[in-house]
Amino acid sequence: MNPAVEVDRLSWTYHLAARPAVCDISLTIPAGEFTLIAGPNEAGKTTLAMAIKGLIPHSFPGRRAGVVRVFGEEVQRKEAALLAKQVGYVFSDPEAQFTSLTVEEEILFGLENIGVPESEIEHRIRRASELTMISDLLDKPPYDISGGQKQRVAIASVLAMDPEILILDEPTSMVDPLGKDLIVEICAELRRRRRLTLIVIEHNLEAFAALADRIVLIRGGRIERAAAPREFLEDPEFLERSGVYPPQVTQVFARLRAHGLYRGPLPLTDEEGIRAGDALLRGAGA
Amino acid sequence: MVPVDSPFYRYHPVTRLVLLVFLSVTPLFVDMPEINLGLILAALVLLRWGRVRMQQIRRYLPLLATVALFMFGVAFLAPGDRAHLAAFRLAGLTFYFQPMWWAFVSYCRLVAMLFGAILYFSTNRERDTLVALRSLRIPFAVSYVAALSLRSAGMFMEDFRTIREAEQARGLDLESMSVGEKAKLYTMYTVPLFAVALRRADEISNALFARGYTLSGRPAGGGPRTDYLRRRYPVERRDRALSAGLAAAFVVAVVLGKVMGVFSDQLSPLHGAALRTIGLR
Repeated sequence: MNPAVEVDRLSWTYHLAARPAVCDISLTIPAGEFTLIAGPNEAGKTTLAMAIKGLIPHSFPGRRAGVVRVFGEEVQRKEAALLAKQVGYVFSDPEAQFTSLTVEEEILFGLENIGVPESEIEHRIRRASELTMISDLLDKPPYDISGGQKQRVAIASVLAMDPEILILDEPTSMVDPLGKDLIVEICAELRRRRRLTLIVIEHNLEAFAALADRIVLIRGGRIERAAAPREFLEDPEFLERSGVYPPQVTQVFARLRAHGLYRGPLPLTDEEGIRAGDALLRGAGA
Repeated sequence: MVPVDSPFYRYHPVTRLVLLVFLSVTPLFVDMPEINLGLILAALVLLRWGRVRMQQIRRYLPLLATVALFMFGVAFLAPGDRAHLAAFRLAGLTFYFQPMWWAFVSYCRLVAMLFGAILYFSTNRERDTLVALRSLRIPFAVSYVAALSLRSAGMFMEDFRTIREAEQARGLDLESMSVGEKAKLYTMYTVPLFAVALRRADEISNALFARGYTLSGRPAGGGPRTDYLRRRYPVERRDRALSAGLAAAFVVAVVLGKVMGVFSDQLSPLHGAALRTIGLR
């Protein structure tokens, strides 16, 4: 079986740019995997995601080397509508992707583009809006709602298209803490309900580290590290130097370990932290 | 701002579009001001019936006043060839009847057209326009561009407000500025607004690609495009009857006005009354 995404020695230099945005990147993402792509600003994360979506080279001028394949087929050779069916992309600025006058039309737009039969459309709109908790917003203009709601509308409009791969570009960057929790909850729900290949771009690992199967660190247009979350977060100091912020609970226990006060595995979530702290206080973790 | 509930919503968007065409285009074929004043009255009655907040209509008063000032000002200041014009004096000033009368006729026509448009945009959401265009089998790309244009008008105003608020937050005092200074300031707004518009155009283009849009509007794998939105607005018998009635009335108005000259301003009772009032007849 073909992997969901194969990036083979990809380099991309935007038109008039002095240096490549991504350089000789190779990455394979198996179907159904949750991949978290982390890295500082200007690292090349969004460029890599746009190459997987096909926006590069379809919509941006520049120089390319290497190949990106989605389910074994080269992205460059695929039509926009076919790519939209397979790869959903939620932009970091949700408003940037709104093209319609109401939330319902926003969800509907993609469905009509990919030829979903009318009999199925209502069901898909209902399912996507329930999952993203926006059922009460369907009649509202998408640009007239809160930041968190906008992000959820953007996710719903892509989810309704039933893509096999879903890319979320910094989905929590423009939302309040409550909105951020809801986005994470939606991603967790997606993991539970469907075998969806999920690619999330974030430079703050707090929210998604525990959900991911693998975290990929990109810096200066190159992959610096790719590993399962626990292994990836083993060296928080290195990550901080790389402009990536591990979960606070991981940082706390990493410091305790650096001072010789803790020897166990670094926790990724608050719950794991409470258990590790409890064990530490009882003398088992030290 | 359209009303939450309105009797207009019982009618199909195409019927409402036909009403717009009737109210806004018919005045072009009518010179007689009484007919155009009647159309204005009809639009006002329909606004009331459509549960539009009449306070909303007050927003258009400055526009109506400015247009009147401009049109009658031109007729007063530049009346044309005076040798053939009938002069009369009012409040110590000399006026010429024909240009003033024609300004009045044109003003009534313009206001009637404007009220037709006000009625339409006060009782129709952008979605209704989109459904109407799709129902008329306008190519998808055209109807979609129309919808995007409607949306971009709102975004433009929002961007303008954001830029102005940002300047006011940094101490800009519009109240203390002269008209000339304000004009200069508004000219300067074009630079950031243009830059934002370009960025938005780029973003929307990427979003369209990401959602599988093609210029033909045809879905992946060919075949006709599904139109879920249009199917939700069935055309009823009353829509057909009203649209046919309005279309027939429009044709009658065009024939009577342009072919038979029945709506000539010279046949207007107001014309005779005005001449008698100022002592020219």
